[in-house]
Amino acid sequence: MAWHDKDSWLTAAFAPNISTILISFLVAITLPILLHRWIYRRATPTTLPTFLLIGPSGAGKTALATLIERSSVVPTHTSTAPLSIETLLPEPYVPASAHYRSAGDPAYERARRFLLLDTPGHGKLRHFATKELSNPENVRGIIFVVDAAAVADSAGLTESAEYLHDVLLSLQKRYTGAKTSKGPKEIPVLIAANKLDLFTALPAHLVKSHLEKAVSAVRKSRAKGLKDSAIALGGGDENAIEDDRENEWLGEGGEGEFEFRQMEEVGTGVVVRGGNVLGDGGADVKAWFEWVGEQL
Amino acid sequence: MLDSFEILTTSGVVLWSHTYVPVGANIINSLIRDVFIEERIQPQAEDAGSKPTYRKEGYTLKWTAAKDLGLIFVAVYQSLVHMTWIDKLLDNVRKLFTGLYEAQLKKEHTSMVDCSKFGPYFERQVQELEQSADGATASSSTSVKLTPPSSTENDSAEESAPAQNLQRTQRPLYDTSADSTPVPTPDTSRPTTPAQSHLLTGKARPGGKLSRRDRKKAAGMGSAPVSSGDEASIKRKGKGSAKRNRVWGDFGAEEEDPSMVLDYSQADLRDEASENEALEEIKPETWGRKTGKGQFVLKDLDEEMDAIIAEQNAKKETPAASTGIVGSSLGAIGGLFRNVVGGKTLTKEDLVKPLKGMEEHLLKKNVAREAVVRLCESVERDLIGLKTGSFTTIEATLRTSMEKALTKILTPTSSLDLLREIQTVNAGGRPYVLSIVGVNGVGKSTNLSKIAFFMLQNHHRVLIAAADTFRSGAVEQLRVHVRNLKELSKREGGEVDLFEKGYGKDAANIAADAVTYASKNNFNVVLIDTAGRRHNDQRLMSSLEKFGKLANPDKILMVGEALVGSDSVAQARNFNASFGPGRGLDGFIISKCDTVGDMVGTLVSMVHATGIPVVFLGVGQHYDDLRGLNVSSVCRLLMS
Repeated sequence: MAWHDKDSWLTAAFAPNISTILISFLVAITLPILLHRWIYRRATPTTLPTFLLIGPSGAGKTALATLIERSSVVPTHTSTAPLSIETLLPEPYVPASAHYRSAGDPAYERARRFLLLDTPGHGKLRHFATKELSNPENVRGIIFVVDAAAVADSAGLTESAEYLHDVLLSLQKRYTGAKTSKGPKEIPVLIAANKLDLFTALPAHLVKSHLEKAVSAVRKSRAKGLKDSAIALGGGDENAIEDDRENEWLGEGGEGEFEFRQMEEVGTGVVVRGGNVLGDGGADVKAWFEWVGEQL
Repeated sequence: MLDSFEILTTSGVVLWSHTYVPVGANIINSLIRDVFIEERIQPQAEDAGSKPTYRKEGYTLKWTAAKDLGLIFVAVYQSLVHMTWIDKLLDNVRKLFTGLYEAQLKKEHTSMVDCSKFGPYFERQVQELEQSADGATASSSTSVKLTPPSSTENDSAEESAPAQNLQRTQRPLYDTSADSTPVPTPDTSRPTTPAQSHLLTGKARPGGKLSRRDRKKAAGMGSAPVSSGDEASIKRKGKGSAKRNRVWGDFGAEEEDPSMVLDYSQADLRDEASENEALEEIKPETWGRKTGKGQFVLKDLDEEMDAIIAEQNAKKETPAASTGIVGSSLGAIGGLFRNVVGGKTLTKEDLVKPLKGMEEHLLKKNVAREAVVRLCESVERDLIGLKTGSFTTIEATLRTSMEKALTKILTPTSSLDLLREIQTVNAGGRPYVLSIVGVNGVGKSTNLSKIAFFMLQNHHRVLIAAADTFRSGAVEQLRVHVRNLKELSKREGGEVDLFEKGYGKDAANIAADAVTYASKNNFNVVLIDTAGRRHNDQRLMSSLEKFGKLANPDKILMVGEALVGSDSVAQARNFNASFGPGRGLDGFIISKCDTVGDMVGTLVSMVHATGIPVVFLGVGQHYDDLRGLNVSSVCRLLMS
């Protein structure tokens, strides 16, 4: 039968039958309910603000992560896999967003909750961190842990500075490569100068100046270095080729000395704070917690 | 003796550790670096019998991993001590730990596992294995441990056990941390009890005892029933059950129900069958454990440990069995469906075919067979036991895993910034010496001149030393290069010169002379060209050791051509070994990359063979056709 026949389904659908009325009634009632449930379900996994722990191997990232989680330090070894930890900001520190909340407010605890992502620092395993950096969805801040004692000698300084350079450069690229005029959300960086309890450790301000100098040296040698093999081999994707065409240098066009201050222009405030996870007098991580609180 | 035992996660957190003698953290760190990250030492297959070992600073480390939970179990002991039972210990501890804390370990977003109560379990394992390894004396002592203090049937005359029984029957199942060193009990109780108990059993209920013995004889056990040996063979379960129902009267224990006794003997008979079966049978029944606890905590732990280990073993066997039963059609359809939708747990069989395909693919990309096999093995090790993500096929999972493995193998451990190194070396007041070795005709001189051009662009004063005193025209070739480079660098500000001593001289001496000449004449980079040599010709290769000692280059780079096939592995190995102990290659230059298209497998083969990074790629015929390695693009080429 054709669709225009008297007893076709289309005619029945428009006729004032009991069944038709019932069905349309049911649909009218259930559809909003189902829709609501569906949307609600999708919205429920609330994303926690994430802080990335990055830094060269042996700087104390995992130790810091365990310290934040259980407020005591456990022995750690070289990491080979990332570790994510859901934790609360410790008691005396107040998240900036919850400054005016009372302690009994249920939203207060929610504001203090965050996710800490510890990444392995070994040279071969940095792809965990770079993957996270290339698409930082909920990243509120990056904690770059450096060994303040290792920074004192040139090999350790170079390693830290190269890694830091890469991290900052990818943050800058994210900002300059943004499609909207507003620019992406800011991702501040905390350079946590760890192991200040050691005798050979440099104080925070010296760590800062050393790193600034080393990063500008890295930038200089990168500028002079050889080009990447991506184009020559034809294996690079479009992004890589684009990168190659307009070489991007960290800071103000790569001129002069690099300073962390220059990063503020691209939406990345960099601060250096000292502390120590281990040590005879217990851990001293006050400055870092304060920073985390400011970002939350 | 065992020095230290640690249980750590792959993310580096030590969950539990027991240290007998303090061992530096760097020992285990270097194990992780060398074995897990850089894969310098090949782990043997698990089923090869023994666990892989790693030696460092007089320590021997053995380890095992529970991959699905991301755990590594490491035992550290002095290399001087030969310990045979470590493998068993690692296995048992792994099973125990995963059995006890699996739920906690699977929690997301936390690194905390509360395993403070693991200590006693571990100590018991160590004791047991130590004693069983001690040979003759061990056999008696273990039998003591397994068997209850022999007064099994009625210890009404025994004072200590009932007292303990009364005290401990209410203890919770896992609360054993208080009695972590429960060693002495069995030894002390043994000598006194057997005779006593025998007398008493004889007196108390001869009928029950006789029937029991008869059964035993029927089962072919002890022929001399009144010996203490027979007594010792009675398993603890029987005894334990006897205890549970004991009624305490005013004058000690009351008489027991004879029918119950019959039951116990049956339990005993069952126990005699085999240790494992008995455990399996006992496990579900609560009375077995409860009464075991009544005696002393030692046995309780033992029993519990054995139960956990048995459970883990059973778990391992069940999946195979279940697929055997469900078998054919339904399982196969489910598997197919799973393969499309994802969420399938990968087994060795699942991976065989895709891995074969991957192997073929990589071989086609000119990766040496050896490297392919190793890559596939490491990927297989990674994937077995893993669940595929939703809507990903096995092939896709394998692909991403292989890409990861390739990235890992190609990524250099330390940075390869030549310019910075030159700077630091020059700051020390001497020229930076770089020498180039390789097989004949791979492009040593060409790449040397490319590097020289790169240095000149960075305003260095470069001295090229012609240490190829063998091949006709080698010096002239370099002279032409130097003339060209001089022309090119005139505006740039660099300076280049050639150091030559003609043909037939000793290459090592020329190189050493060139270095002294350079430091006198204020050159800050010395590039040394060497004669090409066949890597399996011992006579030619042996001169490299002298060369390395005399010229003492800061960096020795080997040129390998991308065209070479599976020989690349042997080339890289032989050259790396030719400089004598303590000196090796520092990097590779892979030349002629422009001639192979996407078949860049040589890179992987060479890095695989030595663990030495690729520093430069030669990608063309001009001076500026020298490139750094872009790992991701190479991976993409290899996987395309």
